[in-house]
Amino acid sequence: MIALGVDVGGTFTDLILADLAKGAVTIHKVPSTPANPAEGVIAGIQGICEIAGIVPEAITAVFHGTTVGTNAMLVHDGAITSMITNKGFRDVLHIGRHQRPQHYSIMQDLPWQNRPLIHRRFRKTVEGRLDAQGAELVPLDEEAVAQAARELGEAGVEAVLIGFLFSYVNPAHERRAAEIVREILPDVFVTTSADVSPQFREFERFTTAAMSAFIGPKVRRYISNLSGELAKLGITGELRVMTSSGGLATPEMIAERPASTLLSGLVAGVRGGEWVGQHAGIDKLVTLDIGGTSADIGIIRDGRLTESDARSAQIAGFPVMLPMIDIHTIGAGGGSIAYLDQGKAFRVGPQSAGAVPGPAAYRRGGTVPTVTDANVVLGRLVPERFLGGRMSLDAEASARVIGELAEKLGRTPEETAEGVLTVLNSNMANAIRSRTVQKGIDPREFTLSGFGGGGPLQAAETAAMLGMTSVLIPPHPGITSAVGLLTADLEYHALRTAFAVKGELEISRLQALYDDMEAELGAIFERDKVPADRVRMLRQADLRYVGQGYELKIDVPDGPLSEESLETVWRAFHDRHRAEYGHAFESSPIEIVTVKVRGLGLVDKLSEPPVYAVSGEPTQVGSGRCVFRVDGNLQAFETPHIERTTLPVDVKYSGPAILLQTDTTTVVPPGWIYWADRYGNVRMTRDN
Amino acid sequence: MQTRVDPILAAVIHGALENIAVEMGHKLMRMSYSSIIRESEDFGTALTDATGRQLCECTMSTPLQSGPIPGYIAGILGELEKRGDKVQPGDVFMHNDPYGGASHGPDVGFAVPIFHKGELAGFSVTTAHHLDIGALTPGSCGIVDAVDTYAEGLQFKAIRVYDAGRKVEPVWQILRSNIRIADLVVGDMEAQIAAARIGAERYSALLEQYGLETVTGAYEDLLDYSERLMRDAISRIPDGRYNARTFIDGYLDDPDPALKELPIEVTLTVSGSDIHVDLTGTAPQTTNKPINMPLVGTVDCAVWLTLRSILLDSDVYGNIPQNSGLTRPITIHAPKGCLANPIFPAPVIARFCSGNAVADTVMKAIAPAVPKQVSAGIGNLRVMAFSGASGGKPWVHMEIMEGAYGGRAGKDGMDAVDTLYANTRNNPIEDIESHLPLRVLQYELREDVAGAGTWRGGIGSIRSFELLEDGAVSVEGDGQRFRPWGFLDGKDGSPAKVELARASGDVVNLPSKIPYRQLAKGDCITAYGPCGGGYGDPTKRDPKLVLDDVLDELITPETAQSDYAVVIAGGAVDEAATRRLRGEA
Repeated sequence: MIALGVDVGGTFTDLILADLAKGAVTIHKVPSTPANPAEGVIAGIQGICEIAGIVPEAITAVFHGTTVGTNAMLVHDGAITSMITNKGFRDVLHIGRHQRPQHYSIMQDLPWQNRPLIHRRFRKTVEGRLDAQGAELVPLDEEAVAQAARELGEAGVEAVLIGFLFSYVNPAHERRAAEIVREILPDVFVTTSADVSPQFREFERFTTAAMSAFIGPKVRRYISNLSGELAKLGITGELRVMTSSGGLATPEMIAERPASTLLSGLVAGVRGGEWVGQHAGIDKLVTLDIGGTSADIGIIRDGRLTESDARSAQIAGFPVMLPMIDIHTIGAGGGSIAYLDQGKAFRVGPQSAGAVPGPAAYRRGGTVPTVTDANVVLGRLVPERFLGGRMSLDAEASARVIGELAEKLGRTPEETAEGVLTVLNSNMANAIRSRTVQKGIDPREFTLSGFGGGGPLQAAETAAMLGMTSVLIPPHPGITSAVGLLTADLEYHALRTAFAVKGELEISRLQALYDDMEAELGAIFERDKVPADRVRMLRQADLRYVGQGYELKIDVPDGPLSEESLETVWRAFHDRHRAEYGHAFESSPIEIVTVKVRGLGLVDKLSEPPVYAVSGEPTQVGSGRCVFRVDGNLQAFETPHIERTTLPVDVKYSGPAILLQTDTTTVVPPGWIYWADRYGNVRMTRDN
Repeated sequence: MQTRVDPILAAVIHGALENIAVEMGHKLMRMSYSSIIRESEDFGTALTDATGRQLCECTMSTPLQSGPIPGYIAGILGELEKRGDKVQPGDVFMHNDPYGGASHGPDVGFAVPIFHKGELAGFSVTTAHHLDIGALTPGSCGIVDAVDTYAEGLQFKAIRVYDAGRKVEPVWQILRSNIRIADLVVGDMEAQIAAARIGAERYSALLEQYGLETVTGAYEDLLDYSERLMRDAISRIPDGRYNARTFIDGYLDDPDPALKELPIEVTLTVSGSDIHVDLTGTAPQTTNKPINMPLVGTVDCAVWLTLRSILLDSDVYGNIPQNSGLTRPITIHAPKGCLANPIFPAPVIARFCSGNAVADTVMKAIAPAVPKQVSAGIGNLRVMAFSGASGGKPWVHMEIMEGAYGGRAGKDGMDAVDTLYANTRNNPIEDIESHLPLRVLQYELREDVAGAGTWRGGIGSIRSFELLEDGAVSVEGDGQRFRPWGFLDGKDGSPAKVELARASGDVVNLPSKIPYRQLAKGDCITAYGPCGGGYGDPTKRDPKLVLDDVLDELITPETAQSDYAVVIAGGAVDEAATRRLRGEA
């Protein structure tokens, strides 16, 4: 069993090849080809096979992370999309929640009006109406649906969304309309809002479904094109694509539910971080993936990725109501620019120098101070050993741009450079607080895992700001996302709106909803040829106190539902509410808003990281002056530069140290102890 | 430039302060029960110093809620001083006195004091619009016939609901027995207190970590910073006097001429980096009708919000901290006894639309000085309260109906959106119909009524509700008599209207203010939102954009020709005919 993980990012396509039986792993990185991402993938596969000494035909499965759907949304380049909806409700997508994204702006744009997913001319309305319980008030006007389909076909639309009020309770009208449209427009992408996300709140549901229609044709074409290219290479193994919820899906499933790929690329990184942490015996982990322009933060609690709640997820300013891993992205990375703004406040990011011109140190014409330049000035990035010596940094340029900023600030260059990092780290610490402290989680019990190009540089000092004492840097911080692809299972979700109130609910109705969802997912796994003994069904429900508008997700026990098993659910809800918000309303009635099943189809994956068995003395390739803040004061330390891959297992050393490797640099500040564990992770701890 | 605190440390502390206010808002929204808070987001959270100066606010809250928070604290402190009373640790204060800093009675503030080393160091405050506050009729909007502040509901002047940590039960019992739907309202109040306590806890921890002096220094710097940005922006406006006058409906169906077609007048005097705002010329107060606006809590917020949205537009300047520093360069005067500075006990509960008209008039006044930073006239809002008793249980539902923005330099106006100092959210139709005996029959844009311009005004909405059981409605709106103003040769927009279709078949147009009116099952009430004014000469509008509006059925081909001088034939622009019509051939 040879598995390939390939993650296509904006700049690089990362690959990992694993012989699952032998545990042997090969990694590779090639430039991405945004015009046709499949080209980069194919070049990467050829490259990695060469390095590993195998033929592509030997690959038995390809696990893939893609940003095709994400980018279609970000640059607003999707299909000509249309909609058939209820008479009287043509503009739900346009009016939205009638709220402006910014309070204090006259000149702002509303994404749903300025960049509509579906233009008004392509939004048709037909008679037909259900009430809140799903009962039919007005029958569907089938002839009007057919007429609308014909008109839309003549207008040349590429996708049709059927979106009716209350379809989450009763999808009959939507299904019938979809049938009619498919018959008339067999080559057009047709989807219904209840198929995409059967949850109440019409603007959000219609928008999510509109996104699915908008990116659908493009994602389908890409996946089909990629499958073709893989076949040409002789790869007959299955293709599996990572979805926003951190699981894998088959190409057929992606074709049906393209919106599930919206966070495909991002999620793989957190997955990779989770897997590394898990093998290091850590089930409370904060992942910090820092690239050139942004930092992505994920939380793993009790060994599980945290999901965003249904009302917080968005992409390109549009709400998304789909199961998604909660990834908090902030504009802070190696290229983030440090500056004094118009009011003379000191800021770092979110503007970034990007890859071009990049930091001044990159010799590509950058003239403004960035985080990378600050790291150079403080001696934390070693100019002649950057990226394993493949690129040398211009230390003088960094000193110059930081010096200019220092003059404006009236500080020394070193104080200024350290200030840049302090502000950057504090932005990240605040972002982590918003996902931990604000949700009743104490980050001090967690380990911070830093990866991406910049995570290992900032992890220890960011952790210290949060009172965290444990840091983990994976062996290959630059390809954690590709690793993540090899650690997931097939994962599909089903959900139903329940609106069941404690004390008044019929257990048999809830049971029937769960049974129905389990049957639905079971059928999909059967189609995917997953043996029944490798299928797992995990029940969940979203609960709130009656009258509230936000729900909390609670696990629901397996087996037949009973008063007793529901009692554990009510209990867990009160506890969770108290933990999240600091308060529980014990005597208030509780409502189950949605019931959910998360179905897993277990697949062969990376079982364990390759064992790291280095011993002996580590190789010190040099040393240099490195500046850190200790007890409030800046101090310079003559700091050793050590080849990371020569660190012996489980031998502890004291910081400061700079650990070098080909894809990144790890900074160990003074006061921290560091060592390599048996999987080659660098671990750090600190006395608090 | 001198700062009190190292700018790097200051940046760290500013980030932490903002984080705290956001956390408070996040938790309040999620814990609260009534849709006016959790869906409409009609709430505010902020931290202040010991004197009530605002340090930070929550980005989710609506400006009309967080803006007045300094006034609430000033009101509480003033009231305590009058009584010879002092804040003690563990106290929680409830306040809603519109003549003591509050925005109006239904916006109840809860303030948790923060002590550091035994001294009062600040307040953690939440405000929220409550569904009912014990006024003469159900609900807390559309109380358009309250004759004085006593008729507006319960008045709280620095009332301790917790006294040194102990719950003051009698106060809570009074609340429960005087407020309709007390479970909802009291639940929301408890959520407000829980969120304010979290803010207090976090702020205390911040003071522990950095010390009062450093934190104080950092926020003093932050206030200076905001002030500097505002002064910098003001000094780019040419010195001079800028005047504008608009009119509000008032009570169009009232026989008393003093109650209708009321002027709002604003004169801005810009000198250097200061702006003085004078509301002289505004109509006298309506002594027995509640559309008067508290000067502190409504008028000041309307002025500040409008000036900062224009001069420091966050779309251009990024996120600038909202705090008292921003308002230092701005002074406001309104003659005592006018609509914008009423004398106690003149009623104020329905001040929402008058205040937004002040905001619009400020924009109209400053528009000639900064024509590329404003929109043409905005469409005002209307709030409806539906109520009834379903299966013996009383219910109240409040819905804020959107307005629209005027056209802007290079951009059409925003369609069907809350305007200026209001920024709430609507309630999902699927939520309304799942929980209330109401059915929504229509929610769409209006057609062929947009304010024409090179950049056309935003388009108003149509929202229609049917009662599925006998019930009642009250309406508090404005903007039905006067059109939103066009700018730079743009055409005026369209006024709003409200229509009642009785189950019996009668259809009547209603004025913008309707006190509690009983409705029967099957009655249907429809709100037509106003459309913003046009910006620039309509005959200069790009014919392609006119065509888009025709294809989208927002205007007819006839309007394209009459308003825009664009000839549309066969789904395309007839270029030659258009050039002829525009006199370009």
